[in-house]
Amino acid sequence: MLGEFEYLLLSAAARLGEGAYGAAIRREIEGATKRRCAVGALYTTLDRLEAKGLVTTWMGDATPQRGGRPKRMVRVTGAGIQEAKAFFRAVSRASRGVSWATDRVRVS
Amino acid sequence: MTRFGWWLLSVLAHALEPAERDVVLGDFAESGEGVGAATRHLLGLIVRRQTGLWWSWRPWLALFGVSWVAGLSLSRIVFRLNVDLFKYGAAYATSLTARQEVAFLLCLAGAVAVWSWTGGFVLGSLSGRAVWLTWSVFYFVVLDSAFARFVLMGNIVLRNPHTHETPLDSLRGTLGLLMATTLPLSVAALLFLFPALFGALLGVRRRILTVPHACLIGSVNAALTILMTWSTGWYDPAHLPARWPAVPWSTRVLPFLLASLPAVYLLACRLPKGSRPKDQDAAPPLVS
Repeated sequence: MLGEFEYLLLSAAARLGEGAYGAAIRREIEGATKRRCAVGALYTTLDRLEAKGLVTTWMGDATPQRGGRPKRMVRVTGAGIQEAKAFFRAVSRASRGVSWATDRVRVS
Repeated sequence: MTRFGWWLLSVLAHALEPAERDVVLGDFAESGEGVGAATRHLLGLIVRRQTGLWWSWRPWLALFGVSWVAGLSLSRIVFRLNVDLFKYGAAYATSLTARQEVAFLLCLAGAVAVWSWTGGFVLGSLSGRAVWLTWSVFYFVVLDSAFARFVLMGNIVLRNPHTHETPLDSLRGTLGLLMATTLPLSVAALLFLFPALFGALLGVRRRILTVPHACLIGSVNAALTILMTWSTGWYDPAHLPARWPAVPWSTRVLPFLLASLPAVYLLACRLPKGSRPKDQDAAPPLVS
């Protein structure tokens, strides 16, 4: 089963589609979680996901905006989509009936 | 980001693989990250990458097999060269001729250089980007373990309780002695330092030697082991007091065999595929 950060990364990459690369994924994750995303965590997790066959990565074109340096492009594989679905279903099942997963949250 | 900030990041990023270095610096340029945050992120990635290297058995083999085991044996040989060079030199009033003494010292110097290069190469080959740590341990073991051994055996007394030496004086003396043994200030230390350094740099780039080169290194190591075992058989009795017992060849050969362990590894890497351990096929990719 995926870890929490692995799921966030897969979701961000899937949402970005063709435009998924390191810096863009980091922005997506920070936007979704409202927390800082460490570059070290991002790239080591990407390596782990690639080793598991859940994403494929390759070097993209260099752009002037990046000082002529290339991007590391990311694509979620079929296996990655299946794992993310399984994680989402597990979290949904685990959240069934709990107060924070319904609209009737009582704030004390 | 300032020009200094970029320079700092570029220097630090050399700890990463070249491809990853460009990607990460490009990300920082695109996101307009400040120098403080970018440095923090970069250091975090470097620490994670360095830690990740130690999940493999290779750096551990380099650390224990080469830095410690071969390093300890090499330290005895480096120390021996230092002592023989400055205490005896040539024509030391023994039954040996000056030519014999010079031949022995040259042989010893060659052995130090060859074993240091081989050890350095294998360290670079096994450790990859963790070589800065395994090589540093190798360096300190080779140059400082003789000093540590003498302190532990009581041959060097760091603080004599029978004198009125203050703790500060004895600390100053100890640090001076430590600096003298650690810094490459002697011929033997230089003969160790440069070959070990060049070997490590080449090892990181090449990872494995070609079959002819591995055979050449293996043959030179074997020849030096035989030569050193044989020559210490007549050199030592001529220089040591007559009451000292003769050391059999089977004991004399041991430190030379241990110092040759890195060459054994190099040869094992080039064994025919069928007789090679399976893990050898999974050698890390060449670093461009």
